[in-house]
Amino acid sequence: MTIRRRLTLWYAGILILSLLVVGIGTYQEISEQLRHSHRKEPSEHALDETSEMIFQVGLPAVVLGLLGGWWLTRRALSPVKKLTGDIKKIHEHNLREPLSRTRNGDEIDQLTEVFNDTLARLDDSFNRIREFTLHASHELKTPLTILCGETETALREDALSSAERERAASQLDELRRLTRIVDGLTLLAKADAGQIALKLEPLRLDELVRDNFADLQILAEPNSIKVELEFCEEISVRGDRHRLRQLLLNLADNAIKYNQPQGRVTMSLRRAENFSEFKIANTGTGIAPEKLSRVFDRFFRGDPAHENTIDGCGLGLSIAQWIVSAHGGTIQIESAPPKLTTVTVRLPLKEAAREKA
Amino acid sequence: MRVLVVEDERKTASFVRKALQAESFAVDMVTNGVDALLAAASTPFDAIVLDIMLPGRDGLSVLRQLRERKNTTPVLLLSARGEVNERVEGLNAGADDYLPKPFELAELVARVRALTRRGGENKSIVLSVADLKLDTVTHKAQRSGTEIELTVREYRLLEFLMRSAGRLCGRMMILEKVWDYDFDPGTNLVDVYVRRLREKIDADFEPKLLHTVRGSGYVLKETP
Repeated sequence: MTIRRRLTLWYAGILILSLLVVGIGTYQEISEQLRHSHRKEPSEHALDETSEMIFQVGLPAVVLGLLGGWWLTRRALSPVKKLTGDIKKIHEHNLREPLSRTRNGDEIDQLTEVFNDTLARLDDSFNRIREFTLHASHELKTPLTILCGETETALREDALSSAERERAASQLDELRRLTRIVDGLTLLAKADAGQIALKLEPLRLDELVRDNFADLQILAEPNSIKVELEFCEEISVRGDRHRLRQLLLNLADNAIKYNQPQGRVTMSLRRAENFSEFKIANTGTGIAPEKLSRVFDRFFRGDPAHENTIDGCGLGLSIAQWIVSAHGGTIQIESAPPKLTTVTVRLPLKEAAREKA
Repeated sequence: MRVLVVEDERKTASFVRKALQAESFAVDMVTNGVDALLAAASTPFDAIVLDIMLPGRDGLSVLRQLRERKNTTPVLLLSARGEVNERVEGLNAGADDYLPKPFELAELVARVRALTRRGGENKSIVLSVADLKLDTVTHKAQRSGTEIELTVREYRLLEFLMRSAGRLCGRMMILEKVWDYDFDPGTNLVDVYVRRLREKIDADFEPKLLHTVRGSGYVLKETP
């Protein structure tokens, strides 16, 4: 039944109800007049009976009408409510799952159908963008290979003057940076397209953190940055060893790059209720509050002044975020310039991860 | 040493050939899988550099065919896709090493050299280069009789460099063998570790053993 028809019926109900009210009103008016015309006992008695009857019939009718109206509105609006709930659950990764339809042909069903079509079109264009990024990063690889190879070949020539050699070497450095950007883009494009499967295995997160801490100590040395592993609890998770190591190195590297000379980095790994909590905090200029929400965006740089002095591909945190969410965890960043910047990574514990799976 | 390079991209093929020839390899070139199988069947090669993306028959199927024919020539796979799965797939199909594009030439040469020396690798318990000695059982290092303290990672780095003494070791190769990273983390981890190691084994001694090859990697050898 279309909503129009349903509402028509409901409206008819209200009309009947109001007719009833009008009837009562009219009746009372008439009886008032009758009283004024001095006809007494018998008619008054009849009047009492009639008004009693009206109350007996009219009141339940009104209550019934009200309740019915309330129920009908609820019913009429419940598909809208359900639709709202369904739409709320939509994000860029489940666009291809259509919203469930009642197929009763009403307006809501038609709306759902139109919306599903729109979603499908949106999904198509998302896919086209993903495919574009994926293809673009593939297409860049061959010319990059050639450029790298030819620059390296040039560097090997003995006839090169020192200035030419310097130039070629600097070009090669930039080509390497470009290579890392392309690699990062490929990784993220594939992750978006769901083409990367994690190799999950039970592993000791604390061992990975200790290992990472050893590297952090070495990375920190040239800038005389103090590093500290505050706490490292024995914790097992189900994860992809390579990806988790990549994540930890990524975060450690950031903590050094965006630090200050003689600064500080602290790490900790703790067990919370049913997840592990890894924190890494560093001193440095920090990130302005209005920029915090965007630091996981691709190519976003918190500090434009640093843009050219810090060697990085601008995708580190985006990759970190992907690794964490692929493990069913969360990553957060807090910064209180000019004090500490803290990254918190929460991953489900081994037992919890298994239950989920 | 004779190497077969199977690569359809003309320019890539050309500088790979130049680089390998510069390292005194004899290089044969083919541009597709069918020719590769023919060449491998008629000539004994010391190594094959095989691109996965080839016109017609792809590199992986060529590799499988080779192994089916009991051809055990070491194979280095090149790929523009660079997926972990592909790497595993390649190694399962019988490849000996895998290098994602874009690669560094030095890296490629170092790997081909490692492949052609495979089996001939220094397997002794005490490794030595000049007066530097490394005991692979006790993990103790000595230079001119002076004991050198090494962390676990430094030990693994030194062991790798000593086992490949005289050969150029690319950054990616070091990351892969010493750290077990199969991605470029974009940090100067290797350089920082090498600098530390150099302070320990070279700072107070002559001649210097650990040399940087600009833009390529590192090499441990007596004469620069």
